[in-house]
Amino acid sequence: MVDKGLERTIAERDHFEFLLKFLEESPSETSHLLIPLVRANLEHYKDTVRCIEEGKPVIASYFSNAPEIFTAMDIHWYCPVAAAFAGAGANPYLMNDLEGTDKLAVSSDICTLLRMAMYYTEAGLLPRPTAIVGMIIPCDGIVALHEASRRSKQWRDIPMFAPDPPYFTDERSIDYFAQELRRMVDFLTEHTGQKLDIGRLREVVEVTNEQYKLWQEINELRRAVPCPFNWGVGGGPFALTQNRWVGDSRGLEWFEAALADSEKRVKAGKGWLENERIRLLWFDVHPTWFFDLAPWLEEEWGAVIVMDMFSYCPYTLVDTLNEETMFHDLAKRNLMDTTMVRQAVGVADNFASDIVRIVKDYKIDCVVWPAHMGHKDGAASVGIMREVCRDLGVPFLSIGIDTFDPRYTTPDEVKNRMSQFFTAMGLG
Amino acid sequence: METNLKSKVFQEFSDAAETLANPVLQHWKDQGGKVVGYFCSTVPEEIITAAGLVPFRMRATGSTGTEESDAYYSSINCSFPRHCFNQALTGDFKFLDGVICVNSCDHVRRIYDNWKRFVPTDFIEVMSLPRKTGQDQVDWYTDELAMLRDKIGKYFGVEITDDLLWKAVKLHNETRRLQKKLYELRKQEKPPITGAETLAVMVAGTAMPKEQYNEKLRELLDELSGTEGPGSHRARLMIVGGILDDPAYVKVIEDQGGLVVTDSTCFGSRLMWIEVNENASDPVAALAQYYLTDRPSCPRMYGEHDNRTQYVIDMCREFNCDGVIGERLIFCDSWLVEHYMLGQDLKAAGIPMLKMDREYLTSGIGQLRTRAQAFLETMGR
Amino acid sequence: MLVGGCDVGSATGKAVVMKDGEITSYVIIPSTTKPEVTARTVMDEAIEKAGLSSIEDLDYIVGTGYGRLKVPFANENVSEITCHARGAHWLSPTVRTVVDIGGQDCKVMSMDDKGKVLEFVMNDRCAAGTGRFFEAMARVLDCGLEGLSRLSLQGKNPAAITSQCSVFAESEVVTLVNEGVELVDIVAGLHNSIAGRLNSMVRKVGLVEDVALTGGCAKNDGLAKALEEKLGVAVKKLPQDPQIAGAIGAALIAEEKLDGQS
Repeated sequence: MVDKGLERTIAERDHFEFLLKFLEESPSETSHLLIPLVRANLEHYKDTVRCIEEGKPVIASYFSNAPEIFTAMDIHWYCPVAAAFAGAGANPYLMNDLEGTDKLAVSSDICTLLRMAMYYTEAGLLPRPTAIVGMIIPCDGIVALHEASRRSKQWRDIPMFAPDPPYFTDERSIDYFAQELRRMVDFLTEHTGQKLDIGRLREVVEVTNEQYKLWQEINELRRAVPCPFNWGVGGGPFALTQNRWVGDSRGLEWFEAALADSEKRVKAGKGWLENERIRLLWFDVHPTWFFDLAPWLEEEWGAVIVMDMFSYCPYTLVDTLNEETMFHDLAKRNLMDTTMVRQAVGVADNFASDIVRIVKDYKIDCVVWPAHMGHKDGAASVGIMREVCRDLGVPFLSIGIDTFDPRYTTPDEVKNRMSQFFTAMGLG
Repeated sequence: METNLKSKVFQEFSDAAETLANPVLQHWKDQGGKVVGYFCSTVPEEIITAAGLVPFRMRATGSTGTEESDAYYSSINCSFPRHCFNQALTGDFKFLDGVICVNSCDHVRRIYDNWKRFVPTDFIEVMSLPRKTGQDQVDWYTDELAMLRDKIGKYFGVEITDDLLWKAVKLHNETRRLQKKLYELRKQEKPPITGAETLAVMVAGTAMPKEQYNEKLRELLDELSGTEGPGSHRARLMIVGGILDDPAYVKVIEDQGGLVVTDSTCFGSRLMWIEVNENASDPVAALAQYYLTDRPSCPRMYGEHDNRTQYVIDMCREFNCDGVIGERLIFCDSWLVEHYMLGQDLKAAGIPMLKMDREYLTSGIGQLRTRAQAFLETMGR
Repeated sequence: MLVGGCDVGSATGKAVVMKDGEITSYVIIPSTTKPEVTARTVMDEAIEKAGLSSIEDLDYIVGTGYGRLKVPFANENVSEITCHARGAHWLSPTVRTVVDIGGQDCKVMSMDDKGKVLEFVMNDRCAAGTGRFFEAMARVLDCGLEGLSRLSLQGKNPAAITSQCSVFAESEVVTLVNEGVELVDIVAGLHNSIAGRLNSMVRKVGLVEDVALTGGCAKNDGLAKALEEKLGVAVKKLPQDPQIAGAIGAALIAEEKLDGQS
């Protein structure tokens, strides 16, 4: 009798198996970039299944918790909220999961992703982890989720540690968080028996440093007009450096291929789109229904997602000199250069300066704040965003969506709003 | 507010709860005194008092809308900061000489950013509040408080010595003691003061110089001790929630016969059930320990749910409560999940709970009344 | 023992006269703008129908509903939550979950085997899922309330109506009509959308069978069917007009009060 959590993981593994085959059999312009991503996902799910079946430790953790350390300690981990979007591969059970989530006696004004995670925990759809390294940054909701998980019948006896986030990002804050990461290592050792070897950590970080270097280069090329990069592989850099092939040379290969791709286009003066008319900043992560919106944006409006939150994490490289510098820089990266955390954590200057930087560097024609219903701090920042855009002389649109639930504001409604906006602003 | 208490001093408290700058505070200002507003229970009032200033807990009493703040906040934001910021924009907080913020929650933390940019204010600071409550976090918060002390001292041109801090701690602890005595009176079978009236007294305590407040509260305690209320209620209730500063809300519940005898709220027992440790060696560390860890926490803190539930259950037993009303401001993530868990915990403990969503401005009295009445009926009262 | 229950709602006023635990008469009238007038009128009619001479013939009267505070002749008032649960339970003792859809609110109550309310959830902040909503839709589609029910049952491919707000749902409906979507599918979609909301409310109190519908909208078979599909269980039909469940409950409580007093 298979454990329900494992059952679901196996189903997701099979889904990626199928997706891989499909991509291999019907090559497209971006196959060579998509296939490794799918392969990475597949491997991840296979590993999770294997560890559970073999009784090996599996940790539930998050991409903001120095994944390099996990690789160095040879600890397999999975992200509890990732089931909602099946590790960026689009969750085939999304509508079922949403219906299950709606049955929880929790009002729907909290971020859908967190409600879904509560549902997954209570319904036993997640593989039971050996221990949990939580994420209590950047928002109230994620903290609430963790409290609920701790208390749930299913997970209350599972040890949990969560690094405490400082609100600021100065040296004192980074040092504080570095200490939290050290405690995380002790916690991991206690519950998995694995130890952290600094030499091994250095090896891993040296590889991820290379990955980030290439990522930076790809981002620089995205500044080109027309933009050579495609939203379809947009989640790739984040997925590989923070989740899948952390410190893995195969990740390097992917970046090299992605870079080569972009370089080729830029050299030829060609963009990803034949007729690029609008350069857009999508100031959030990709919604689960992006495959319905983004191609339409390209076809209908020649609008290219030149930059988004998945891609804009100008990671500073980690100094591998010694243990101190590595923990310091990993802490810095987690606080300041993690997708979406970067833009939501701390004072408004953090995201405001990002908008300014991105608009200028990437020659953005319009800034879109999708206004996901879970981003309460972002919702409280629209006045600031508007002012920043006004000062930059760039049009600003706030939509009002649910990144995870297409029923909240349907893709058609979003298309409508965006069309009206583009028309009114004389774009495209 | 309507009250059966024939007490002059209570009237002063009631007036203070219904205004922002009440006469006592106004008088203080007229004499050249300064007032510093702060958001959230975790900002230590003592530091402000020690600087010779009067701390003022921010609320949006008297706000009638959010037309101004709607340009900065969204409809999915909590109505509390929306109203507060609206009043900031319309100049209702001109009586403040400074504002201190903390990253309490996603909605309120942006008040710092919006206020800084859009409301001309010479002194506005934000502190970094940890999510956890362990020793490492107390150490961090001690440093934050030390920096705040320096900033306040520098800006207002005062030296906040340890002695002054201890004096402030003792003064504020006295306030806590007196407020706790007030609550103790409600353990009686026929409490001499209602929940709505008590809330007025508690809110007043966050809006005037503590010396004068303590004096008035002593007077009220004298008037009330040894007396009894009508005892006409049909149930004894506890309210659990966050920012509830409107006695009128509590009154609607009590008018249905549910007497509120205790609470765990931002303007309620959490403020004073425990005292700051006067025997510690370092006053700043003592304050950090108290505000972050010792005090009953709010659900934005991680890892404290069991303690919070125990606090509620203990309170219910101590005050002989028949049921709990959990209120939350709509769009609050922390209280949403907290009440979800608390409801299950209380059910297991055999304590009925009613969950109510509300907006900061008390409206929809009819609906509130129906729910409260139905709750009492389900308890068989 | 003669008792009366008077349920003053926003859309209709209901009165029930019970004698020794049996219904002697009941009346439903459209509400006027003055609850006390509605109460007086509906109660008088019920008295007359019961063959009594005056309201003084009743030993005890309980008022309920949105206008319950304005029933001058009531000995006391009790919330409609308690009353609807009691009434539904009396009508069908196996009922444990009641979905009441009134003129301008909807609520779900769970109860024990004695009809005592355990938990409840209300939606009284918006029109979605209330009589007002259905009235508005019937107007837009020009089909009347019975028409809505009939059409909904015929829809084989219910349209997806996603607007949470009834005002927006209305414009969504108009759009669908203009796009040529079959009327029966639009109406079925509307009912599905409301049933979805009711389902969420049911989940909040916990689904325990039997489930019954009360209130004016309970007579909408299309809604009952849509709700059954969402809940995955059958909705129990009550043996009397479900709209008087609240007034019945009030009358039963009146009887209890008398028993208690004697």
